[in-house]
Amino acid sequence: MNAMKTSICGLLLLLGISIFCTGCQRSDHAWEQDTLRINIAAEPPSLDWVITTDSTSFDVISNLMIGLTQYTPKLTCAPACAQSWEILEGGRVYRFHLRKDVLWSDGKPVTAHDFEYGWRRLLNPATGAQYAYFLYDIKNAFAYNTGLIKDGSQVGIRCPDDYTFEIELEKPSGYFIYLSAFCPTMPQRQDIIEKWGNHWTDPEHFVSNGPFLLSKWEHEYKIELVANPHFIEGKPKIEKLKMFMIPEQGTAFALYENNQLDFIDNRSFPTPDVERNRTSSEYKNIPLLRGNYIGFNTQKVPFSDERVRLAFSMAIDRTIFPKILRRGERPQAAWIPPELIGYSKDSEITFDPVKARKLLADAGFPDGRGFPKVELLYPNREDTKLVVEAIQDQIKRNLNLQVPLLNQEWRVYLERLHRDPPLVFRGSWGADYPDPETFMNLFTTHNGNNWTHWSDPYYDDLVTKARAEQDKDKRAKLYETADTYLCKSKATIAPTFLSTQNSMIKPWVHGIDLNALDLQFFKTITIGN
Amino acid sequence: MFRLVIRRMLAMIPVLWLIATITFVLLRIVPGGPFDAEKSLPPEVIANIKAKYHLDKPLTDQYLIYMGRLASGDLGVSYKYVDRSVNDILRDALPVSLLLGFLALTLATTVGLTLGTIAAVKRGTAIDAFAMFLSTVGVSVPGFVMGALFIFVFGLWLKLLPVALWESPWHMILPAVTLALSPAAYLARLTRASVLEVIEKDWVRTARSKGLPVNQTILRHILRNALIPVATVLGPLTAILITGSFVVEYIYAIPGMGRFFITAVQNRDYDLVMGTTLVFAVLLVIANAIVDISYQILDPRIRIEG
Repeated sequence: MNAMKTSICGLLLLLGISIFCTGCQRSDHAWEQDTLRINIAAEPPSLDWVITTDSTSFDVISNLMIGLTQYTPKLTCAPACAQSWEILEGGRVYRFHLRKDVLWSDGKPVTAHDFEYGWRRLLNPATGAQYAYFLYDIKNAFAYNTGLIKDGSQVGIRCPDDYTFEIELEKPSGYFIYLSAFCPTMPQRQDIIEKWGNHWTDPEHFVSNGPFLLSKWEHEYKIELVANPHFIEGKPKIEKLKMFMIPEQGTAFALYENNQLDFIDNRSFPTPDVERNRTSSEYKNIPLLRGNYIGFNTQKVPFSDERVRLAFSMAIDRTIFPKILRRGERPQAAWIPPELIGYSKDSEITFDPVKARKLLADAGFPDGRGFPKVELLYPNREDTKLVVEAIQDQIKRNLNLQVPLLNQEWRVYLERLHRDPPLVFRGSWGADYPDPETFMNLFTTHNGNNWTHWSDPYYDDLVTKARAEQDKDKRAKLYETADTYLCKSKATIAPTFLSTQNSMIKPWVHGIDLNALDLQFFKTITIGN
Repeated sequence: MFRLVIRRMLAMIPVLWLIATITFVLLRIVPGGPFDAEKSLPPEVIANIKAKYHLDKPLTDQYLIYMGRLASGDLGVSYKYVDRSVNDILRDALPVSLLLGFLALTLATTVGLTLGTIAAVKRGTAIDAFAMFLSTVGVSVPGFVMGALFIFVFGLWLKLLPVALWESPWHMILPAVTLALSPAAYLARLTRASVLEVIEKDWVRTARSKGLPVNQTILRHILRNALIPVATVLGPLTAILITGSFVVEYIYAIPGMGRFFITAVQNRDYDLVMGTTLVFAVLLVIANAIVDISYQILDPRIRIEG
């Protein structure tokens, strides 16, 4: 009986605490004063921008740091640490002129040497930086990163003076300017990194030059940033940015509904709630620069025959994807997204089951007869499963072919793609910078992510020329031609849809600009009525 | 007893070595590596990274390097969380799981023992049926369903408790209850069965016939003897609860260790998988040793060779 009394007392205590906490939760308004509360869903693997590669880390770093340039809401490059720049020698040399009033959070000025150190560190093989290859266009960068040359000073990175930073490329590169706004190329402090080693990203040692300062990092739980009073564009309007790491979408959405989060995106937005809130004034949907496709191993029969690939691609009605995925996806029938230069409606492959069947028959498989067993490989994710099931159904109905589905755990799936790509697989690609190069280079002969193993000198040549071209219109035309060739003539891949960002913004949050690159900048946010 | 503790401690060393070795081998057998990504890296970059983490060396060398570090208490580095050592990660996460686990364990034991004892003493009555219905629900409804239900009812609907997060003592209530449900239900069923067995014994009848009150008979004579099977399961249960639950930590956004049991494997974060496995193993061995010692306190007839 004593045990029973104890448990009753315990329950009463819990109830008492509950009632007390209800009182504590009350507030005059639903928001926290001058604070934006968001969910980044996961622990950033690192806040060292030279080492990290993932979007969660970049979401934090983008609000702590500015680089040579910075993205505008329209994803063009605007001055940041560099007040101006020149592109010389036909696009082979980039010279950045730095502002002299940009300060690190410990009061020291940001100089060209900080950029030089950061870029060299990115390329130093000892750093083991995954994104080192982004700088391979720079003279001797590849050789230095791969150990062919040991002397880092031979790399085409120079500081003629404290406030001039110069880059020499191996050959002109039309998209290179975007890398100057990319997190891994932001400046770094040699003295801080050498003093604190791996712990330099701890809040007590961290230095930054952007709109916010790192004040707290509770691992796997929360990061807090505070406004930087010395930011060159002026102190942000909000004082604090709380970034929670809530992995469960449903929980994060419940917190949003409970006014404990002010802004949420895909990471916190379960599909049923997207549907329920589609007409809400707080709801926003924008297409992202993330394309999804079905890839074919072009080195293996029967997909070595372009007629078979074309038949598959033409047999897919892409309007099905937003209906089954229900997150406002944009059907995509060409590889370059409409938001980028080089996109053209003419590059799109059309849904034509009659022609698809004829192409299949021409390839030797009339009405699907004699077609070998072909499995469609996809990673173990619920949304991907819906996509491949829809494709399986359409291929069955439109080509009379059975395509069994093969589901593998994420890393096993990646390992399989790297080692021995199956005949048909699901793939996707998110842009690193807002330029068609990031998408089109993917299917060139030597790209390590070209799992189709397609090798076409004509296509390679088009992409190489487009990459080097300095004239924007000519570049666009070259990419357009390449895209038409890739999707409509050769059907190396069957693009399926563009992913979207679904977000909810509380009415008291003003000034959030969402962009297709999915970078989130909070320096211009205000909170209140 | 002192000798028993020492012996258990020494026995732990080969057990941990075996666990570390098996885990090491299994991790290397699983397809996919820590640096496989949707955007695969150039082979040159992969080579740099592998060299940095000694993954370019033969497996035997990697094993010896790991074991050498382990012997000095260094659990290695995380490949996913690149600035952090596994020791740092577990040092941050384990206390959270320990706290939540102990709360859940206390709750589960209190509720489970009380419910089980009442059900046994009132065998065949409506109270017994109700207690066993509750325990069936507790055992069969998964934590993620109960968690979501609690969030909706107590967080969103009644607004009595916080929806999630780990900010204050009352943020611990829903996760602790969710975590405690299943073990409480299990302990209740076990206690009921065990008490029913003891309640029929001669010494219980003797105690009652001597005029000992019901309460004292239950506490002194029945429960003490009935607790031995319960104590046996409490060992592994304690280790499971205090190393964190993936589901509960995931649902309530709690920065504990439980999530690493799943995410570290998904990420092929070799050292982190090894670290979590070894910490779990150490706690399990310690918990089991404590259970063995507790047998002697509960029943002096049990003597374990020292």
